[in-house]
Amino acid sequence: MAFVTLDGITKVYENSREPAVKDISFEVRDGEFMVLLGPSGCGKSTVLRMIAGLETISGGDLRIDGERMNSVPAKDRDIAMVFQSYALYPHMKVRDNLAFGLRRRGISRSDINRRIEQVAESLGLTPYLDRKPHALSGGQRQRVAVGRAIVRDPKVFLFDEPLSNLDASLRVSTRNELVNLHNRLGATTIYVTHDQVEAMTMGTRICIINDGKLVQIGPPMEVYRKPVNTFVAGFLGSPPMNLIEAELKSGADGAFKLDIGTQCIELPEAWISYLQGKSGKIIFGIRPEDIFLSGQDMKRGANAAVTMTVTAVEALGAETIIIFELEGVDTKVFVKADRYTRANIGDTMPLSIDMGVARLFDPVTTKVISNNTQLSG
Amino acid sequence: MASFSRSWKHVLLIFVLTIYTAYTAGPLFWVALMSLRTTTEIAHNPYALPETLHLWKFSEAWVNSNYSVYFANSVKVVLSAVAIITLVGGMAAHCFARYRFPLRKVLYFTIFSTIIFPPQITIIALFQILVEYGLYNSLVGLMLSYVAFQLPITVYILESFFARIPADLYDAARMDGYSEWQIFWKVSMPVALPALSTTIILNTILLWNEFLYAVVLITDESKRTLPLGIQKFMGDQLEDIGMISTGLMIAIIPVVIIYVFFSERLIQGMTAGAIK
Repeated sequence: MAFVTLDGITKVYENSREPAVKDISFEVRDGEFMVLLGPSGCGKSTVLRMIAGLETISGGDLRIDGERMNSVPAKDRDIAMVFQSYALYPHMKVRDNLAFGLRRRGISRSDINRRIEQVAESLGLTPYLDRKPHALSGGQRQRVAVGRAIVRDPKVFLFDEPLSNLDASLRVSTRNELVNLHNRLGATTIYVTHDQVEAMTMGTRICIINDGKLVQIGPPMEVYRKPVNTFVAGFLGSPPMNLIEAELKSGADGAFKLDIGTQCIELPEAWISYLQGKSGKIIFGIRPEDIFLSGQDMKRGANAAVTMTVTAVEALGAETIIIFELEGVDTKVFVKADRYTRANIGDTMPLSIDMGVARLFDPVTTKVISNNTQLSG
Repeated sequence: MASFSRSWKHVLLIFVLTIYTAYTAGPLFWVALMSLRTTTEIAHNPYALPETLHLWKFSEAWVNSNYSVYFANSVKVVLSAVAIITLVGGMAAHCFARYRFPLRKVLYFTIFSTIIFPPQITIIALFQILVEYGLYNSLVGLMLSYVAFQLPITVYILESFFARIPADLYDAARMDGYSEWQIFWKVSMPVALPALSTTIILNTILLWNEFLYAVVLITDESKRTLPLGIQKFMGDQLEDIGMISTGLMIAIIPVVIIYVFFSERLIQGMTAGAIK
């Protein structure tokens, strides 16, 4: 068991002036399942490889259990990693793949065999121990890769997009298996993915990285409900948060109003303290599930009414996504409605917005204007 | 109608293949027949089938014509040269494929550029060098020349194979606690076995039949390799065609055996990575 601390970690590749990873600091607590989430090429895998010791660290400190690890070779960090490509040794049987890392560590043959049997049993790999990787299915290979990490009983587990090569149904079941495995082992885990569903369902906390920088870190629901900027708001969720250009106006009575296209909504009184002195262009953020068609249940108090026109309807079976047009606004507005909803293109409908969970962003800095802590949840 | 045209296609295909097989295998078959006939019989009718099988010619060549010595020389030179080429070539290819170091491309291009020169160009210089280093007319000298001659193409073949081994595999081995040297032996080499087999077979066949370097660099009777031994039967006045054929068959047999046993590996190595 271990905790991992990244303190101002930076990576600059040779022949490159721009750092690939810029000043990233966070701590992964003992037994925590930390997910590094971000779009392709954002630097999340580089961070993981620096933790693993497969990439040198250009700046900052990496500590495991408080001990500085920057110049400790990968083999001495007591870390196991599961690779995206599984990286199974093709010339070795499953048994040897599992044993390969143990043989190097001076563990007795009987102990190695015992551990292999144990891990194979727990992952359902016992019938395949004498097969070579090419004779296994994708899911089985993935389990061998996980087994190879578990069998070493390391301080920290690293996963580099381990599910991206699996088909959709297998991905769901393997995701659950990995979560169960983590719950059983209670090992400190750092998991890299670009898949927000994996991040939301697996992580104790999510660390969102974009363009080499740490953008937000927190428990999945907190990051989802309280994005700190428009990137996080637009990256998480499917469909993502609606980000609508609006105009903030303060009324004579001290209350704030928001002009969205040709319509105007009143902002909750509780926001007044955050918005003092602000006016002009603003980005109004609202998740598709926080806009309600009339008659559909809205449990929250604060709400605002708007009228929008249907431009497309996507019936997904479990739910229906309705895409609206707001008069005077370029961006389309996505609304998640229940599966019984019937709507036709061209219909104009009254909708209510749950203002309690809405977010306002600065159009220049893209950062959230208030933290809305007492409003959202 | 369709089946009719298909059967015609088959007939045409078989016809072409028969011609091609006769063209390539014909001379070999002819030499095999001549190896069982005496020179007098051959002179009388070169293309006739053997009336009696003169199998004694093989023991004659082996025992009285010093073929056992030539054979042993060939085995020594070829086996040691192929072993060194495979080992050094494997290491070089591993480094070129896996590490980024200064002048890597220049070095690789320099090694590779030697492939384009025909061996005749370098042979006089090579002769001079071997004389100066006391390696002329020695099996070690010949073997080292073979190593130098075949190393670039071996590095080229192996490098392209090593470069296709996913980097994750090396990273996994590093995480498993293995040093670079151990990774080369335990991961790179075993994974590259199909490509290694290809280079081993190609180099063995090529060097086993090599004549030019051997004829220039070896003069002693006791140091001749098989191709030189066969040449002994080609005199100025008379060519003992019968014995030359017998000698050729003795020389060919190991090559055929190697090919029969390893041909599947050879094809695997040549097509490795071609299809997923």
